Amino acid sequence: MRRKTFITFITLLLLGGGATQAEAKLRVVATVPDLAAIARAVAGERAQVISLTLATQDPHFVDARPHLALKLNRADLLLQVGLELEVGWLPTLITGARNSKLQPGNDGRLDCSSLVKLKEVPRQKIDRSMGDVHPGGNPHYLIDPDNASRVARGIAARLAKLDPGGKAAYAKNAARFVEQLGKAKARWAKQLGPHKGTPVVPYHKSWVYFVQAMGLQAAAHLEPKPGIPPNARHVLRVIRTMKAAKVRVMLQEEYYPDRTARLVAKKTGAQLLILQGGTHLRKGDTYIKRMDRMVRALASALKGG
Amino acid sequence: MVRSILLASALALAAASPAPVLADEASDLAELEQALAADKKANREDAAAGKEAEGQGVTGAIARAVQSLNPDISFIADIAFAYFSVDKPLMSGGHDPTKTGFNLQQLELAVGAAVDPYFRFDANIVFSQFGVEIEEVYATSLSLPWNLQLRAGQFLTRFGRVNNSHPHTWAFVDQTLVVGKFFGSEGNRGLGLELSWLAPLLPWYVELVGSVTDAAGAATARSFYGGTDLGVDGPGDFQYTAALKQFFPLSDNWSLFWGLSFASGPNPTGRDNRSEIYGTDLYIKYRPITHGSYTVVSLQAEYLLRRRQVPDDVLMDHGLYATLFYRFARRWAAAARYEFLTGVEGDYLDATWDGDRHRASANVTFWPTEFSRLRLQYGYDTPSWRPGYHMLFLAMEFAVGAHGAHKF
Repeated sequence: MRRKTFITFITLLLLGGGATQAEAKLRVVATVPDLAAIARAVAGERAQVISLTLATQDPHFVDARPHLALKLNRADLLLQVGLELEVGWLPTLITGARNSKLQPGNDGRLDCSSLVKLKEVPRQKIDRSMGDVHPGGNPHYLIDPDNASRVARGIAARLAKLDPGGKAAYAKNAARFVEQLGKAKARWAKQLGPHKGTPVVPYHKSWVYFVQAMGLQAAAHLEPKPGIPPNARHVLRVIRTMKAAKVRVMLQEEYYPDRTARLVAKKTGAQLLILQGGTHLRKGDTYIKRMDRMVRALASALKGG
Repeated sequence: MVRSILLASALALAAASPAPVLADEASDLAELEQALAADKKANREDAAAGKEAEGQGVTGAIARAVQSLNPDISFIADIAFAYFSVDKPLMSGGHDPTKTGFNLQQLELAVGAAVDPYFRFDANIVFSQFGVEIEEVYATSLSLPWNLQLRAGQFLTRFGRVNNSHPHTWAFVDQTLVVGKFFGSEGNRGLGLELSWLAPLLPWYVELVGSVTDAAGAATARSFYGGTDLGVDGPGDFQYTAALKQFFPLSDNWSLFWGLSFASGPNPTGRDNRSEIYGTDLYIKYRPITHGSYTVVSLQAEYLLRRRQVPDDVLMDHGLYATLFYRFARRWAAAARYEFLTGVEGDYLDATWDGDRHRASANVTFWPTEFSRLRLQYGYDTPSWRPGYHMLFLAMEFAVGAHGAHKF
């Protein structure tokens, strides 16, 4: 009897538990938490959505820890940001995952950069002396609410393809998400309205979409070139620019070092806002709540200065 | 035509009928229509957005370059200035600095791409000052069933942790001694087949690897046929390698990787004489990701035991290394390594190596970006059969092109 159980166990192991997986919910794996948050809003109860990274992690530099390959091995759909944001770690995980559903061109793979309106698509030949420039365009598009809506609709369409029974539910959820985001946008426009055109100084070029969507502008970036840490000469130039343009707010994600930024803030009297680098899924955060929090912090900083 | 009119009227009647059973359906239908209309509108918007994106997108030559179907191609150059306190240092690696002065360690050409939906292709071709060498060229299967994966071609075997990696990812300028002594200056590789299996239902990562490779090559399989290739007469004339790899994500910030490896193959000292190598490797890594930080602290250690049948005797020796790595700033890291190996008298491969050998190394690395690297390394080597000596390296690495992602 015991032996039989053992044999069954081994057989199940060998067969990859095909039977158990067929009955389970759709498994969706997103590379970053913002993408997972949008997917959760669209999928509702019909799918289990996880993120490979945390909001506190720089998505450019992620360790390809093998248990992430295991998550991809069991996934029905992989949502990625694309534009080579994940190029340093995702390909090796996908190869190791042995899951042909996730191959490019299959329904199990959705590169969300194909759904959105991109900024900073290079018009000239780029090379790495320009820093970490992404050949396909700036990959930090998820903090633009309009792009989030586009991504939500794209995910709904893809989920419907994988799970036709849930087509209406996905469409409804996506429509609700877009509607809520529309209301939030109106709210944000009101909060930031008085500050239209105000210059801010972000650390990395990861705020391009956000700054434009919120009607602000970036006077300079603390990094001299994308991915190149600040050096003294550049920082001096930034300080000069900030004083001339009366910049009162600096922005950066929590995963970037903040020593230089703090120094610059002190020298210029600006306020340094350390904002979350993504949705804190474990704390029950949603995409809209996270954006709400960022806009609130930004509005109060702009008012306070 | 007539039929469709009839059908439409029937449907209209049905929809208009006040039957309570249908009320639900009607509201569902209305909802669906609403959703569909919203979708349609969204699609129109998206199409418009797509057009705009096209307008602002890559054009002409750049677009063609992006979509050229060329594989990812990268070059990595490793150059070192070295100082040794003796004339003939005992460096084991084929890409180690070996003389006082400037050394071209290697120029590596890495090429990789999907072949088709079934295979991906990877090659590492290494240029030295004296020639070109195919380090690795293999195909990896992408869609085998049952969590299986096949590699075919010439590849570094997945024995232990460090053997299956290229100098580009090493924490030190030079090769690990035990790999050089047991497998050869290029590490253990061969032409052959490898099958691996990822356990699907376990809560942690378990991978089983088995490979069959040719047992010849002084620089790649020296404990086996090595430089004395006796050819293949039967299945016993290949090298067989097996490995069990397990990964435990202890927490978000802590990782533990543990491997067990075994290799067996024929050696040329006599009929049916075999060599066996047993190994275990451990990798513990701390890298905080729950808050912003560039800190990485890792401990990597491997222990290998070798058993060789020779006429009227069995030679047993072993070796180990332990590496402590500490990244203390975004661009800076320090590392220390200790190595210990034993020797046996009458070793047909290393005649003079009859006693213990200790080597200690320490280095500091600076990465201007992830594509360039400067490393200053000091080492002290004490072979029991000759006087100890010092070494100092200043090594530089430059990488260009599209280089594949690295394993954990």
